[in-house]
Amino acid sequence: MSAVDLPKEQELVEYRVERILEEANTDTRIVVLVRQDGLLDTFPIWVGAAEGNAIKLALDTMITPRPMSHDLIKSFAEHLNITIQRVVIGDVKSSTYYAMVHVANKGVERTIDARPSDAISLALRAPCPIYITQDVLKRRNTSNLDAWLAKLESKNVSAPEVQET
Amino acid sequence: MITQMQVKGLMFDPSNNAYIVVLRDDEHSDMLPIWVGKSEAGAISMALENVTPPRPMTHDFMKSFLDAYNAKVISVVITDLSEHTYFSKIHLMYEDSEYTVDARPSDALALALRSNAPVFANDSVITKQSSDELEQWLENLKPEDFGKLDS
Repeated sequence: MSAVDLPKEQELVEYRVERILEEANTDTRIVVLVRQDGLLDTFPIWVGAAEGNAIKLALDTMITPRPMSHDLIKSFAEHLNITIQRVVIGDVKSSTYYAMVHVANKGVERTIDARPSDAISLALRAPCPIYITQDVLKRRNTSNLDAWLAKLESKNVSAPEVQET
Repeated sequence: MITQMQVKGLMFDPSNNAYIVVLRDDEHSDMLPIWVGKSEAGAISMALENVTPPRPMTHDFMKSFLDAYNAKVISVVITDLSEHTYFSKIHLMYEDSEYTVDARPSDALALALRSNAPVFANDSVITKQSSDELEQWLENLKPEDFGKLDS
């Protein structure tokens, strides 16, 4: 995304939220991210029900009568002239993904630590691009993906394998 | 006129399957109950109980967002009640200017508690008249209706 030479593992790959899946009988949702650079890849992230609903509202461009939490954060940004530049899912530890929200104000850039659900919810409202680092793409646990696919095929849903809480 | 209120606690309202944030003024003469959803109640509960979650919850992130540029929450005001919906304003200070931002009371309170900002209510929204009614209603609540927050 920039001309600066980044180490390979810090290179960013753009993803887009394709949809939110509901897991029957659980309090979790799956945010399905799809790769944007032509390569076929799906990146699922398990989030809580409230977090998933916040993302779904933005994905469906629903206008709620009152501002929801991430609408409020966007409203703060607008009032204070803060630009939400991008969201980067940049780390994974013990099956928990870590995101950074990159913001700028009068040329001063800051990064803010966030759960992917908050970062994605805000990214859809900003709107701004969502990236995943090569490092995270490499280190993600594919056994989770297999479990996920198995779950999709089965109605018998068990506890989530990758939760971000 | 506005009156400063303290967030006294949260209760489960079994009849509506919702949570009530109870605000009281310092003299304990006025009470303002605000009905909120489960996840909103969770966000307020964590702040009331000083719980530090392993990862920032939405309102922790909201505060970090403001902290990133030294914007301060000066106060929160519950301003209006219209058709069973409470309205509130968040007052921010940023680079010597003040900003007023519209918010749901649940967000405003969750942020105020994390920012140690005072909470006020417009006198018009404080339910002076129904206060007795509410007291009675509170007395009728069973002890197990309290502290049921599991999020």
